[in-house]
Amino acid sequence: MKPIKILHLYPDRMNIYGDFGNIIALTKRMEWRNISFEYHTSSVGDKLQSDYDLIFMGGGQDKGQVAVAKDLQSKSSVLHDHQMRDVPILTICGAYQLFGKYFITVEDEEIPGIGLFNVVTKATEYRMIGNIVISSDIFGEMVGFENHSGETELLSGATPLGKVIKGYGNTKTSDYEGVIEKNAIGTYFHGSFLPKNPSVADYLIEKAIQLQAPNYTLDSLDDWLESESSNISKER
Amino acid sequence: MRKTLAITSAKLIKAGGKVFRKQGTALPGLLAEKIDPDLLSKLVKDNFPKGIIVVTGTNGKTTTSKMIGDCLAMSDISFIRNTAGSNLRRGIIATILAHSNTKGYCTADMAIFEVDEAYIPIVCNELQPKMIVVTNLFRDQLDRYGELDSIAKKFSETFKKLQTTLVLNADDPLVASLGRSASNPTLYFGISDYSGEKIENDHTADSVFTNVNGEKLHYLQRYFGHIGIYTSKNSDYSRPKPDFDLTKMRKMSSQSSKFDVKTSTETFSLDLSQPGLYNIYNCLAALTVLSSVGVNYDLISDSFTHTEAAFGRGEVLQYNKKSLQLLLIKNPTGFNQIIQTFLKQKPQTNPVLICINDNIADGRDVSWLWDSALEDIKSYSGKIIVSGTRAYDMALRLKYAGFDVSSLSIEPDLKKALILLTHSLKVSETGYVLPTYTAMLSLRELIASQGNHQVKDMSE
Repeated sequence: MKPIKILHLYPDRMNIYGDFGNIIALTKRMEWRNISFEYHTSSVGDKLQSDYDLIFMGGGQDKGQVAVAKDLQSKSSVLHDHQMRDVPILTICGAYQLFGKYFITVEDEEIPGIGLFNVVTKATEYRMIGNIVISSDIFGEMVGFENHSGETELLSGATPLGKVIKGYGNTKTSDYEGVIEKNAIGTYFHGSFLPKNPSVADYLIEKAIQLQAPNYTLDSLDDWLESESSNISKER
Repeated sequence: MRKTLAITSAKLIKAGGKVFRKQGTALPGLLAEKIDPDLLSKLVKDNFPKGIIVVTGTNGKTTTSKMIGDCLAMSDISFIRNTAGSNLRRGIIATILAHSNTKGYCTADMAIFEVDEAYIPIVCNELQPKMIVVTNLFRDQLDRYGELDSIAKKFSETFKKLQTTLVLNADDPLVASLGRSASNPTLYFGISDYSGEKIENDHTADSVFTNVNGEKLHYLQRYFGHIGIYTSKNSDYSRPKPDFDLTKMRKMSSQSSKFDVKTSTETFSLDLSQPGLYNIYNCLAALTVLSSVGVNYDLISDSFTHTEAAFGRGEVLQYNKKSLQLLLIKNPTGFNQIIQTFLKQKPQTNPVLICINDNIADGRDVSWLWDSALEDIKSYSGKIIVSGTRAYDMALRLKYAGFDVSSLSIEPDLKKALILLTHSLKVSETGYVLPTYTAMLSLRELIASQGNHQVKDMSE
């Protein structure tokens, strides 16, 4: 098997709230299973290759996002091609918003996204902050911390990542959080998302390997500490 | 009239508080603030003929203020100072009231106030400080303070309206940029010579881009986070030349350091009785202030040789006849500095207790643990105990940094964890205790309940 080629988009500009922990979780869980991988990064002005197996992008400060939003347009078609090939993609917060159709700022300015997700986001003056718990059929219960002022609306046909049990989710009043389209996931979960939600980490890894070996299934790992820390987060 | 009523009520409640041994040092201030909303500017107007020094920034506020205070205490300038626990508006009011008569008159020449970053826009106009020190700006409790750029913007708007002299860290691009956006007189401090140990897995560089068009800064030297020597194509964003410039690092150990600081007219040789690069920055900030208010060099130099660690920031306490060093951690940059200064130093065998709480004063969000460079110490061979409300989050972080989970002790209860730590300590060893803010307060209380007289009460 060829090494799994991971792409981390804009790690220098989109790296807030411990999102780098998602890369740590993905690579450690591969290392523990002796799955070989390569770690690639691409930032403003860099070219993309056409054959990544797993793509990640985190959230950033507002200042960081302006330059990124502009640059992302030049990467749009390559990223769409990856999504069409069923490449697993994880985007957090600001990245989730920029992977939608557009983002409307507080000043009512429209920043175009790349439309990988059929969602639109509007900035608000209200910050949705706190511990969050959601649940889905594929992943079970997921826990994390959200911190966003953008409200994301799912347009027709878009599937949410999960149903909100505690916290806000996509909007102040929404019953749902995030989005999943093909193998691409968008979510407001910081904190980091993957270490405490190993079912999602393993889903992404398995889908990445299945690009080469369609029938491949991952061995399970001993996740007692992951479960224990998730359970405690639910109570906080 | 209102002023008198506010002052009297605050003094009464403070006296009552003493009887009931309550800890709320800011409570009198809160009450006085309610009775007379303009009290702070009234108090400031008639007091402190030599001016007010404000110290703010993400890390180092308390230690910098203490270093300034320790030196002034040896000079003939009298001063008052607030504590870390009272760095909001009400705490500042309470501090002034505690040192003034019923008319609100205070005999001190000067005041040193450390001020929470979020309160800078609120109190600076009232305080009209002589100087404002900004130590650094790092990501910290984003759930509470918001993003860094928005803090810097609020600082800049506040400073523009004041005549205050700014004392800024030249090596922090975001802090240094505050000197260019305002027309205030500005003094910079910085380090031009450092080639010691660095954090390898540093994910805390927040401000490595200019504000103009998101252009990247070029670093000639990066010490930690986004602190270092940098240039930019747009010269407005290059590092300003420090007025107080550490030009020669002579010695650094886990107890102290020795270095030379150059100004336009002279060179000082300093011995600092505190460890770590972060404390050298605190010392440079204090030096800039002290030198500007006219304290002579011999006195400054003498005070730095003797200055002791501030509350929870490196202080060594005795518990069950064992030595514990309290090293407060609040954010990834601070955590990394503790790792660099203590845990990366050989022999890496001292037992360590890490206590992570997620109460409001700690920040409810514990995601910052993932931005901290635990990978740098994955081969640490001493005993590690994790505790606090988020003990399991810390354990998980260590697991993914490459630590062997089976050798960790996970004990959420602070008292039990403290006992575990003392049991694993040899008599000659010092245990490192790394707590978040509320965990630090609880631990000090536990240590005090053992009859330790070193532990002063909250008001110092």
